[in-house]
Amino acid sequence: MSAAIVLGSNADALVAAHLLARAGRRVTLVHPRAFSDRPASWVSPRLRRALALEAAPAGADATWASALLPAGGTLELAQDIGRSVEAIRRLSPRDAERWPQFCERMAALARLLETLYAEPPPAPLDLRLALRVRRLGRRGMSDLLRVLPMSAAELLDDWFECDALKGALAASAIAHLQQGPRSAGTAFRLLHHHVGCAPGVFRPARIDLVAALRERPGVALRAQGIERILIKGGRVTGVALAGGEELAAALVLSAEDARRTLLELADPGWLDPELARAVGHVRRRGVAARLRGRARHRPATAVLAPSLDYLERAYDAAKYGRMAEEPALEARYDGDRVEIDLQFAPYRLADGPWDGAARARLAAFAASRLPELADAPLSVEAPPDLEEIEGWPEGQPFHAELALDQSLWARPLPALARYRTPIEGLWLCGPGMHPGIPGAAGEHCVQALERARA
Amino acid sequence: MSASYDALIIGGGHNGLVCAAYLARAGRRVLVLERRERVGGAAMSEEVFPGFRFSVFSYVVSLLRPEIIRELELPRHGLHILPLESTLTPLPNGDYLAQWNDHDQNRRELARHSLRDAEAYDDFGLVLHQMARAIKPILAMAPPDPGSLDPRELMDMLRLARYFRGLGDKNLQALWKLLTMSAAEYLDEWFETEALKATKSASGIIGTLLGPRSPGTAYVLLHHYMGELDGVFRAWGFAKGGNGAVSAAIAAAAQAAGAEIRTQAPVERVLIQGGRATGVVLEGGEELRAGVVVSGADPRRTFLGLVGEQHLPGEFAESIRRFKFRGASAKVNLALDALPDFTCMPGRGPHLRGAISVSPSVAYLERAYDEAKYGEISRRPYMDIVIPSMLDPSMAPAGKHVMSIFVQYAPYHLNGGWTDARREALGDTVVETLAEYAPNLKSAILHRQVLSPADIERIVGLSEGNIFQGELSLQQMFFLRPAPAWSRYRTPIEGLWQCGSGTHPGGGVMGASGRNAAFALLRQRR
Repeated sequence: MSAAIVLGSNADALVAAHLLARAGRRVTLVHPRAFSDRPASWVSPRLRRALALEAAPAGADATWASALLPAGGTLELAQDIGRSVEAIRRLSPRDAERWPQFCERMAALARLLETLYAEPPPAPLDLRLALRVRRLGRRGMSDLLRVLPMSAAELLDDWFECDALKGALAASAIAHLQQGPRSAGTAFRLLHHHVGCAPGVFRPARIDLVAALRERPGVALRAQGIERILIKGGRVTGVALAGGEELAAALVLSAEDARRTLLELADPGWLDPELARAVGHVRRRGVAARLRGRARHRPATAVLAPSLDYLERAYDAAKYGRMAEEPALEARYDGDRVEIDLQFAPYRLADGPWDGAARARLAAFAASRLPELADAPLSVEAPPDLEEIEGWPEGQPFHAELALDQSLWARPLPALARYRTPIEGLWLCGPGMHPGIPGAAGEHCVQALERARA
Repeated sequence: MSASYDALIIGGGHNGLVCAAYLARAGRRVLVLERRERVGGAAMSEEVFPGFRFSVFSYVVSLLRPEIIRELELPRHGLHILPLESTLTPLPNGDYLAQWNDHDQNRRELARHSLRDAEAYDDFGLVLHQMARAIKPILAMAPPDPGSLDPRELMDMLRLARYFRGLGDKNLQALWKLLTMSAAEYLDEWFETEALKATKSASGIIGTLLGPRSPGTAYVLLHHYMGELDGVFRAWGFAKGGNGAVSAAIAAAAQAAGAEIRTQAPVERVLIQGGRATGVVLEGGEELRAGVVVSGADPRRTFLGLVGEQHLPGEFAESIRRFKFRGASAKVNLALDALPDFTCMPGRGPHLRGAISVSPSVAYLERAYDEAKYGEISRRPYMDIVIPSMLDPSMAPAGKHVMSIFVQYAPYHLNGGWTDARREALGDTVVETLAEYAPNLKSAILHRQVLSPADIERIVGLSEGNIFQGELSLQQMFFLRPAPAWSRYRTPIEGLWQCGSGTHPGGGVMGASGRNAAFALLRQRR
């Protein structure tokens, strides 16, 4: 049985490790920190089968977003299109009328994206891809070509007039991205988060892959720091752990980000200088802070993004290295616990360090907008904290910002998009790889390496 | 009624004239109809103030396709291009960044700011040069419709795919980056000097309501790198006599080939009979008939104005309605008693024969954009300045000068709308900002002409004052320009064609749209 080592503390690392184990390898998973509990958003049916995972909970009439309105009250967006139509009608009869058609057109595009996400990235001039695109029909095709490079604001302005509706949709389009809703390419992000969802749902269900796999036997877990990846003659020979112990293996998969893997853990001398330079340029700026605490339960994710301009102004601040005065807010509830993302809160603040005062400002903002927060203090994790705790480089959960230029065949950069590195036996399988959905890159990487060895 | 024509061209802008010239050379009887008293559209020179001649709107030449210059023998028809030799970026701290055409001089100047940037500069130029060469054949192409089942278009599509594959992985990857990244982020990968990054990224924002950090602007950077003069890429020049001389040369070439031109002949609508364009009706009622009608007006004016929605298929009309213009550029023309004296580079020098770019940092440009995207004029705008009288003394009386200032951002959709007061406020902002770098400017001004996007729309007819006849954003390029399935210069109305910058490959005084349209039309009717 040949040995393999997987590095990382996320869903991708666990998926890759268990798939390798199922394929008959002796797998050690070295996780340098506690597993990240960032849930997966979509698990392809094939991966579900391969790992014998349970089906996702259905929840037919669930509300996927509860958009907080400036004048009080909420706009409840439900899985059931009819219920959403009723809710939207109270704000804009015209938009309510358009909602079903919008959902249908977006669902058609997301289905195409879903087929692209279910495998390693297509080549840009792939004939099969071209044929698949043509199968969308004339309208679907022009939608796709037009929508992918568009900004979320342009797309939503084409369809709707209601600020609250546009804001709630655009918030997910820019989540964890150093861009605003007017930035070209953000419409693609709206579709990205639509993949795997029912028509009319633009926030994916949260599936905890980590919880499902963490305790599963078959993979040896080592909770230990990683010193470096051992390479001899351009081939991987193993991994040196913190403390000096060395594990030998001819196959190493890293779910850490590409820059750390190739420029810090591996000796960058093995890379072509041009590639090393490109790896150093992968953008991975964290833009959101995470707050955790206790709260009275809400049935649906609360979203504060009352208009496109609200989001754009929040982004404006980040461009100059400032925290948004009024950030976008997303709060997810689990029993009496709440987890809140506030965006924009840049990794590097232009006017000083991330100190107690900066964190307190975020906590005060959340408390002022969410009356259900209990008096118990919120823990505030700024992007530098998230880098520490979760291993997200610069606090970026996608490891490589999921902007159009770092997507699909260019994720995280074209020369590495097929999961393989120039170092024989070293592969990349983290969230920074295509498609940028937790767990999926782990799956595709194993698929790509098995194919290469076949 | 005069004899009938093979083709009527609506609008005597440079693309209309180019199209007319090529059709006439192929033996077609062509009549160009121009609304104003002279041809040229936005490529036009005018004596705005007694003795002072201006390229009123567009003001430099670079993108004009060399094959057009060659095939239409424009130099023989009076075109003479004088090169711009430098770009000076004055800085708030009294220093400057200069980019010179002379390689060694340029390197020394860059090294003064950053040794690393001086090193990277040549590599950068090489990559963009290669990209521009890769893109070049695409400029002369009628974009195939990827949804078509027409075997000819399928073949074209296949040929296109093969062409791209032939570029090789490296070029394809570089192209993908340019298409999807922001100019600032792209330049961040190369350079560290703020003024250099800002001045370079400025070419990515020209004509669009986007900032240097907006994705998609890196491509426009390339678009501006495609300028090619005498086989030298990235060369900008100034036409002797102003940009009106470019139009005049094309018009002369067209007339020499037999095309007729009528000025003060505003077209009111396109005549449509049985779903077919058969001619046009002029304001005043005169009817002209022809085998085909070619519109050089932008898509909105052509289809929603001259044709009328009732004649259009619903989906096409929807695409045209959605086509984005959002003009963001203004022009200030100054008649000067004396040359501006820049604090950073005092006196009269070669820098005054080049471009002067007010773009001290990327954040400066981005802030200017931030104000415009919420509907305000930039308080500290980006400006691209040339002094044509330094290159062509005939533009101004002896000892006096004309200065052309391209300004961004002045959004067409201004909060509260454009008024005379707002226009003059814009003029004041421009003069104040520039006077911070050249304090003698205010006292040297004899006359001032300010043109807002609303003025550009009113005078030249460009919708929302967009200088490219529609934004050059990714979703409005190539086979999506101006609408899916109608990118090959034809329109849903039989006999009606389009040849303006609202079609592939888009704006700048390039002429490619006019030439491509003529070839598409000739190929069709053969």
